[in-house]
Amino acid sequence: MPITTTRRRLLAGSAAALALPAFARAQGAVKPRLTAISQWSAGSDGAAITALGKKFEEKGGVWQHSPVPGFTTEMMNKLRAQIMAGDPPACSQLKGPEIAAWSKIAPTVDLDAVVAAAGYEKVVAPDLARLHKPAGKWIALPLQIYSTNMLFLSKRAMDKAKADKIPVTWADFNELAEKMKSGGVNHPVANGGTRPDDGQKFEAALAGISPAAYRAAIMNLDKKALEGPEIKAAFAQVRKIADWMDPNVGAQHFSTNLKRFVDGDMGMMIMGGWAQGVLRNAGFKFEDFMIAPGPSDNSKPVFLLNADAFIFWQRKEADLQAGQTLMAQLVMDPAIQTMYSQITGSIPVRTDVDLSVEGWSDGQRRTAAALKDAIASNQAVLSLAHNMAQENGMTAAMIDVITEYVKNKTIKPEQAATRLAEAVEGAR
Amino acid sequence: MTNAVLTRPGRPAATELVRRLPEYLMIWVPLLLSAAHLVSFSLWTLWISFTPSTLVPVSGWVGLRNYTAVAASRNWQIAFDNLLLFGSAFVLLSAATGLILAILLDQRIRGENVLRSIFLYPLAVSFVVTGTVWSWLLNPGLGIQKLVHDLGWTSFKFDWLIDRDMAIWTIVIAAIWQSSGFAMALFLAGLRSVDADIIKAAQIDGAGPARMYRRIILPSLWPITITVVVIQLQFAISTFDLVRALTNGGPGIATQLPALVVYDLMFQRSLLGRGAAAAVLMLLILLAVLLPYAAWRYVQRRRAAHG
Repeated sequence: MPITTTRRRLLAGSAAALALPAFARAQGAVKPRLTAISQWSAGSDGAAITALGKKFEEKGGVWQHSPVPGFTTEMMNKLRAQIMAGDPPACSQLKGPEIAAWSKIAPTVDLDAVVAAAGYEKVVAPDLARLHKPAGKWIALPLQIYSTNMLFLSKRAMDKAKADKIPVTWADFNELAEKMKSGGVNHPVANGGTRPDDGQKFEAALAGISPAAYRAAIMNLDKKALEGPEIKAAFAQVRKIADWMDPNVGAQHFSTNLKRFVDGDMGMMIMGGWAQGVLRNAGFKFEDFMIAPGPSDNSKPVFLLNADAFIFWQRKEADLQAGQTLMAQLVMDPAIQTMYSQITGSIPVRTDVDLSVEGWSDGQRRTAAALKDAIASNQAVLSLAHNMAQENGMTAAMIDVITEYVKNKTIKPEQAATRLAEAVEGAR
Repeated sequence: MTNAVLTRPGRPAATELVRRLPEYLMIWVPLLLSAAHLVSFSLWTLWISFTPSTLVPVSGWVGLRNYTAVAASRNWQIAFDNLLLFGSAFVLLSAATGLILAILLDQRIRGENVLRSIFLYPLAVSFVVTGTVWSWLLNPGLGIQKLVHDLGWTSFKFDWLIDRDMAIWTIVIAAIWQSSGFAMALFLAGLRSVDADIIKAAQIDGAGPARMYRRIILPSLWPITITVVVIQLQFAISTFDLVRALTNGGPGIATQLPALVVYDLMFQRSLLGRGAAAAVLMLLILLAVLLPYAAWRYVQRRRAAHG
């Protein structure tokens, strides 16, 4: 009977049609898709993540990145809203202790298998690895590393000061600043006026004076260390730095004044390695500035670690899951890390990437060498100003004290140290 | 309704209801929606302020701990002091500027319409724009101070924006620029509504302009003055975007205001419970202004009804 045949054929046909996607999924033929949010929208950061997206698409994926411009906290507001709505992105930027805090409010992806397959754990600094597996399992992957206390020196300001030696200790730094001042450099220290800027001045000072005191006071919030003499010494050094800065910057971003820095109107800048990317992106040349590790009184490099990372949120969709696996593989790939760092000015997370080849700057080579030395001498610590050492609430309470101190010259270093200890107690 | 039914016996109540349905819908649906919105979110904020919520809202009870923590923080103390200073300086000065402008405009001058539009125009600009423009004007390295320096007067100093003691006054300046036109418009309406007969009678009695303003016109303006003050005060208490664009609470934390602290706690520090507590404290400050005003209005109305 023709009708039965047709019906049977129809049934078989639809069964096949239904089975097809499942079959394709089993074959891994589903198109990987990734929804991602980050704060990287413009400049070298934007260029780098766009390049990463291109690589993702080259591998057959669908790249859906929604940047949230501004500070990291603004990106977090979007992340919070998405998580509360039950629709987290497959992957988002997040870093430091926030990874542990946020992983408690929504389920994350267990990346252990894919990390083991790539042999990634062996090539990541142990302190850094710990931040990305808060409960023992990898749930996030670091992407790039910056040191927040790199010292940028303006070539023209050095010429004005008739100096060519890169300062090693804080005493050298202060001496060079004085030389610059008398040589006609209006503001020996270049800076912006944002909260992280002020925080960086303090963390660079304290870690340079004593990495051990930094670890105890800032990372472990040890009460005794917070009241110790190193904290007062650090505040005293910050006062010197503040006196050399241009007070007129108000609340400007540090990048506003880069031209004055290159022109030699400002001399030295304590900034993260990302400033290299910003300088290069603004059209300045490597000959215009020098990069060295921040001042360290024991002459061994101190590395204030800041590492950007991606955290992966659990999704049920097969294409998103495939996208997460592909993204994880890309982020761990040495070629991708090289591409990314060469755009932004950071250094790769992998300690086995060769930076002696072309494409890397001297500053990046020095940064990578500093990290290696700092890890060896236990002088690699986590940045406070960039939310690596403490969760946001504690960080903000401490930066309040620091930023007020930088802007209010009537506060004595002793007073500031007391206030810092009080702020920590209040935020605990 | 019962009246309608009684007066029109031929018409059933249901038809009447259908006929008036659009009116009811127009009035009650938006009213209930906005009331529910306002009240439910206020109550929710109140609840959150008693919970240990941080990154996301959680249930639990911590009593007044969030309130004591907020009240003890330097940020809040500075914000509260600033609010007292900013609130009173801004309200008094903007009302005074508005009144002077209104009196000047009221002299039957030519081009009044144009001038009135010019003075009212800043109100059409958003606070973020006002704040950003003034942050350039007041920046010593870019704005007014640099201009005067470039003109040759190099000892001139106007660096309030970066002076932590004076920075709060830059917000007062920008806020007055923005909203004294609004006060002017209200005062102008008040000036125009003074009874012409009284003014004529005063003129016949030989009162000069100064005396007339002092004894007759200004006293009749005081209900409008109270309205201006209350409206400006509630603006002062909820000021956020202006400060964020102008000083962002700086230098340091010298120009914090309560709304900035709420935002900072909730969205920068991820301390929802404390942020909610600060928001409730802000609501209480607002009520401290609005409740006496409502009581005053009530007394006025009763007096008018009985008088």
